[in-house]
Amino acid sequence: MTPVTGIDFERLTLRDALDLAILIEEEARDRYLEFAEQLATHDTPEVADFFARMSRIEERHRMELLERRRTLFGNTRSAVERRNIFDVEAPEYEAARAFMGVRQALETVLAAEVKAQVFFSEALPRVKDPELKALFEELRDEEVQHQALVNAELARRPEKPDDSEAYADDPVAQ
Amino acid sequence: MKDLLSPNDYKSPLKPIWCPGCGDYGVLQALYRALSAIGRPPHEIAFISGIGCSSRIPGYTTAYGFNTVHGRALPIAQGVKLANPDLLVIVAGGDGDGFSIGGGHVPHAIRRNVDLTYIVMDNQVYGLTKGQLSPTSPQGLKTVTSPLGSIEQPINPLLTVLASGAGFVAQATPADMPGMTALIEEAIRYPGFSFVNIQSPCITFGEEDQQLKAHKSRMKTLASLGHDPANQLAALDLARAYGTELYTGVFYRNATPPPTYDAQIRQRKAELQRGEPRPRSRVLDGYLRAGGGPTS
Repeated sequence: MTPVTGIDFERLTLRDALDLAILIEEEARDRYLEFAEQLATHDTPEVADFFARMSRIEERHRMELLERRRTLFGNTRSAVERRNIFDVEAPEYEAARAFMGVRQALETVLAAEVKAQVFFSEALPRVKDPELKALFEELRDEEVQHQALVNAELARRPEKPDDSEAYADDPVAQ
Repeated sequence: MKDLLSPNDYKSPLKPIWCPGCGDYGVLQALYRALSAIGRPPHEIAFISGIGCSSRIPGYTTAYGFNTVHGRALPIAQGVKLANPDLLVIVAGGDGDGFSIGGGHVPHAIRRNVDLTYIVMDNQVYGLTKGQLSPTSPQGLKTVTSPLGSIEQPINPLLTVLASGAGFVAQATPADMPGMTALIEEAIRYPGFSFVNIQSPCITFGEEDQQLKAHKSRMKTLASLGHDPANQLAALDLARAYGTELYTGVFYRNATPPPTYDAQIRQRKAELQRGEPRPRSRVLDGYLRAGGGPTS
């Protein structure tokens, strides 16, 4: 299953690649915001705040890329569409759990960062243009840096037994 | 300049309150994307649902929506489509809503061939009411209403709709988001009654082997099996594996779709507007000419 459909990487331009990266960050931003809302609704406020912070971080990354795109290409229309991008850096919906802890949330973020790194690594051999290759390498390396940050945060938090199942018979009424 | 509709254009400000991890989140996202690919603006779309977790979907879109009564989504959707044939009508609901209380409506909606897309989020349990047996619950499933395990045979939704003559029948799982999105889009584009059974697990009351992680290892695409979606008999044969195998893709697509009910209604209206006499008028005129009618 490819997480991006309808894109021929061999024909991708630098502008389209930037747009792709922007949309990947946008999808991650939206997903973390959704997770924050879900967990706020389901009485998990600490993790809701954590995911809200993640959403703001992804938005910052998106804005940085958007600035580069505007500087290089102005507001010309993008050939890449949001509907073609499936969970590249966004954690999958199934990763969220009511009453999950911050450690579990960090592990979710880590898995998402690894996924994004794999995506750029796998795309690299298909990219021919040197500028594009440099961009994808930069994006891949950023994902590696993000993983290091998450791993450092995980190391600061001791493992606790997962007690989320204790609440499994008491879901919030719909 | 913005002229293309993005998936977020179909997303309403109302926040879903499904349990975190629920399969329905993926279905909703796939619907936004499929609608964006089709490109019809929200005001040309109507979502009709019954009652249940998944039936909350109309509220989560910017399209018209009607969260109706339990099991009655299909009759109301047919009415909506006939009243305004230009609307793109999508029916959404769960397996309980569609194949238990609403089960009697399914074959009739299919035989009429009203141009609807029926998306069933099949989680094999009544999740909203805290985990009772549903019509698609597997035999042996222990729930609050079957503490020793279900002794009932589950309904097979795929066989039910195929046997009723549906022109488009598919199955998907949120474990394959691109595949599910493509199937929903194809179902919506099919001219006539189309059905997509989505194995959308209940994270709270569903079994471990029904969760998306298990789907990823179990699922097999029908394309990988070399299935020809035009072959109705092969589709029926493959559909028998519901509950044991997780096949995804198009089971059956009628290669020559018959005219839809709504198209036939339009045609009949056009005939009447051309001034051809209505049979009933002819009968009444004859009766009145013969001296019938009220006496004073």
